[in-house]
Amino acid sequence: MTSTTTTRPVPTGNAQAPGPALPGIPFGRLLRVEWDKATNTRAARWLLGLLAASTVGLMLAPLLAPSSIDQTYTSYLSFPAAALAILLPVVAILTLTSEWSQRTALTTFTQEPRRTRVITAKVAVSLLLAGAAAVFGALITAAGLGVAAATGRELDANLTAGVLVGYLLSVLLNVLMGVALGALLHNSAAAIVLSFALPTAFALLGLALKSWADWIDPSTTLTWLLQGQWPGHMPQILVSVAVWVAIPLAAGLVRTVRCEIT
Amino acid sequence: MITTTALTKSYGNAPVVRDVSLHCEPGTITGFLGPNGAGKSTTLRMIVGLARPDHGTSTIAGRPFVELPNPTRVVGTLLDPSAMHAGRTGRATTKIAARMAGVPTGRADDVLDLVGLTHAADRRVGDYSLGMRQRLGIAQTLVAEPQVLILDEPANGLDPEGIAWMRGLLRDFADDGGTVLLSSHLLHEVQATVDHLVVISQGAVVASGPLTELLASSSLLLRTPNPQALARALSSARIDYRPGPDDTFTVDVRDGHVTAERIARLALDQRVLLTELRQSDSLGLEQLFFSLTATTTAHPQEAAA
Repeated sequence: MTSTTTTRPVPTGNAQAPGPALPGIPFGRLLRVEWDKATNTRAARWLLGLLAASTVGLMLAPLLAPSSIDQTYTSYLSFPAAALAILLPVVAILTLTSEWSQRTALTTFTQEPRRTRVITAKVAVSLLLAGAAAVFGALITAAGLGVAAATGRELDANLTAGVLVGYLLSVLLNVLMGVALGALLHNSAAAIVLSFALPTAFALLGLALKSWADWIDPSTTLTWLLQGQWPGHMPQILVSVAVWVAIPLAAGLVRTVRCEIT
Repeated sequence: MITTTALTKSYGNAPVVRDVSLHCEPGTITGFLGPNGAGKSTTLRMIVGLARPDHGTSTIAGRPFVELPNPTRVVGTLLDPSAMHAGRTGRATTKIAARMAGVPTGRADDVLDLVGLTHAADRRVGDYSLGMRQRLGIAQTLVAEPQVLILDEPANGLDPEGIAWMRGLLRDFADDGGTVLLSSHLLHEVQATVDHLVVISQGAVVASGPLTELLASSSLLLRTPNPQALARALSSARIDYRPGPDDTFTVDVRDGHVTAERIARLALDQRVLLTELRQSDSLGLEQLFFSLTATTTAHPQEAAA
């Protein structure tokens, strides 16, 4: 302790302060608070900085290696999509799990004891972050395409609305899978490791069981989304979303609402 | 105001809290005293809805905590100063609390100043000492101007100056009409701070009441150069006594029939010289407390509570 105040504290135990008849916490305020919490830690700032840098960095690949990488709009867009797919889920996971690994749940759930609302706000904030990141990725792609055009390259402008929607959906789905794992596991390290390991494991499994892979291998789903082939595979995509997002998220909500906070 | 009725909780077969009933009035500071593992933290966590009791209820300002629409405006809670995000600055931590409560974020700077952390407000909490985290936790609890404070071991990590500061802050809070419930495992730490004391051991309340009553001496100490004469006088008046060393006697005053005045009159009437007539040193609560601390080492399964 290097400093202590010796001045008398200002009155705080105001008996006339508003009582429990106060209005509840509006959801918009919860969103604002969770947005701050998701972005104002050192880890989050580093991750978001790295995310921006890696998005720009990967964009250089199709620019610098025109002979080995398809010079199409869709191909260009797949590079920021890959950058976002790696780090964005980690940001989303930390949004959920840091409450447990940093034990701030002890404070958070005394600020808003309706725990479902807090988790809902966190999911919404993760989606907002994902949406913002997807827009950022699209802008970087546009910049990359601009540079390519300026250097006189011929590019196949094969970017359809389906591909763009698929790109946005893939970024959102990646984030939601991270959110669901984080909500379920309450542990940053475990959730991050599993979010990388599970898709790989299922991809390997998919090689052996091709008929299964279409339904539950998330990388198959993401490929369909990114290549704009999602309208033809909606049942498979919905099943894998249920397996990777809806079920773990619902289980995580139940666990969070029921658990004791220590 | 905090009220709990018969709060009870077990983990598996181990009872952790048994029939704990508390009542904390506005304008008072209640010390929740017990050795480590006695069930203090579990009780506090049940009061603020972080743990579910098996039986019993608790209310704050007349409502269960989890039904308070905006709880931090009513009750400031600090259960563990180490449970803060290490990667967030002190200012950001306090601003989150202000924003959540819906008070102007400028309040964050006010309370940081109040707890003496202005100079460290932009440092990460990970670089804070335990005492600084304790102060930051206090800032967090005060930011929304609650009427009630619930603090688990708030003196942990504070130096003597910090403890004195905390004492003044809580006194002012209570004097303004606030209600304070704080826990401690050290009697001397709370003795100068609290008005009421609830002593808990192995999950059950073993003593509770105003501090002055609990600390009041239960006996008078008499000294005389003529012990035989005093013994005869006390016996003739049917007053029970215990002879002590150095010609002293102790007389129990708990039933209220025996007072210092009655003893003095008796000595005057019987012409026995008294050289000392005073309340004996009040060791009762401390002895009770030490005996509790000694018994709990046999219950390691409660150590985490």
